[in-house]
Amino acid sequence: MSSPSDAEVIGRSLGEPEAFGLIYDRHAAALLRFLGRRAGARVAEGLVGELFRIAFERRKAFDPSRGSALPWLYGIGSNLLLKHRRGEARRLRASARMAAAEAAEKRTTTAALDARLLFPRVADAIEALPDDEREALLLFAWEELPYQSVAEALDLPIGTVRSRLNRARARLRELLEPKGKGKVRSQ
Amino acid sequence: MKPVDLARKLRREAAFEPAALDRGKETLMAAIRQEVEPRRRPTIIPQLPYENVGAALSFLERAFGFQVIPASRLEGADGVVHHALVEFGDGVIGIGTQGAHGAISPQSGGIESQYVSVAVADVETHYRRALAAGARIAKEPRDHGSGAHAYEAFDPEGHRWRFVHQRLREVR
Repeated sequence: MSSPSDAEVIGRSLGEPEAFGLIYDRHAAALLRFLGRRAGARVAEGLVGELFRIAFERRKAFDPSRGSALPWLYGIGSNLLLKHRRGEARRLRASARMAAAEAAEKRTTTAALDARLLFPRVADAIEALPDDEREALLLFAWEELPYQSVAEALDLPIGTVRSRLNRARARLRELLEPKGKGKVRSQ
Repeated sequence: MKPVDLARKLRREAAFEPAALDRGKETLMAAIRQEVEPRRRPTIIPQLPYENVGAALSFLERAFGFQVIPASRLEGADGVVHHALVEFGDGVIGIGTQGAHGAISPQSGGIESQYVSVAVADVETHYRRALAAGARIAKEPRDHGSGAHAYEAFDPEGHRWRFVHQRLREVR
């Protein structure tokens, strides 16, 4: 016998609220990792319960034609993260430093120098994106959600997600591109 | 490198405390209880203290036919139950670890300071079930002048329970 879909469980939880516990058991670990990647362990640990509490309270609004609740939960998480933008920015910069240090270990001096300049620029570029583009980009690039799921998470038509991602890509390319002769590579 | 691939390089996992998911679930369950509460719970809920809540719950279910309200179960990270609500008919009572709110189990304190009276439809059947589950009987079933038929039993920690059926007085 196959286990009930998220939509079925959420449907059941309308009359039998305890059933919603199963949604937590299924997806909490993934959402905790998502929040952790974005805002660090401490914030994520504080938010994961909050995220599911909000989901529980809004469960009537869940569209049962979607089988999985995961994109919907990501969307609630994305909204919660908006209040933690500063922490997110800090974490992103720290990740850039670590990525640069890692690259330095296994590359030639020039490449290492490159990485040291490049990764902080990537972090800044991501930071500089408008909220909606950054969100679409990170759900796609970090969470590896397909377009359709990003669309469900952000409650947007898939075409809008596509154009946001294209804009985000273009902006990153622009921000990462050496301006004039001030190239990323230095001598 | 493509922009998306560059962005991927900055993806970094966080290290969580082992109990992080349990604490999150407790937040959710509290919200669920909140919603379940107004429908099911009476205004006054007595709370009984026990040394071993888990053992008490299973006895109360087995011997007296009470039912644990699943969403009300509070468990520690080690799986030990600290508190739960049990229901019977439209009554609810809390079963909790002694000392948490000052009260102690008769098993520790050596005295009974209250008893709980429970209305049942059929005293004799209830009595036989309790007896079969090993309940210690305090008073055998009997009729009272008031029109009540009742018996009393102790649970494993010495709380006294009275099960009573009140016959309706004839209206003249």
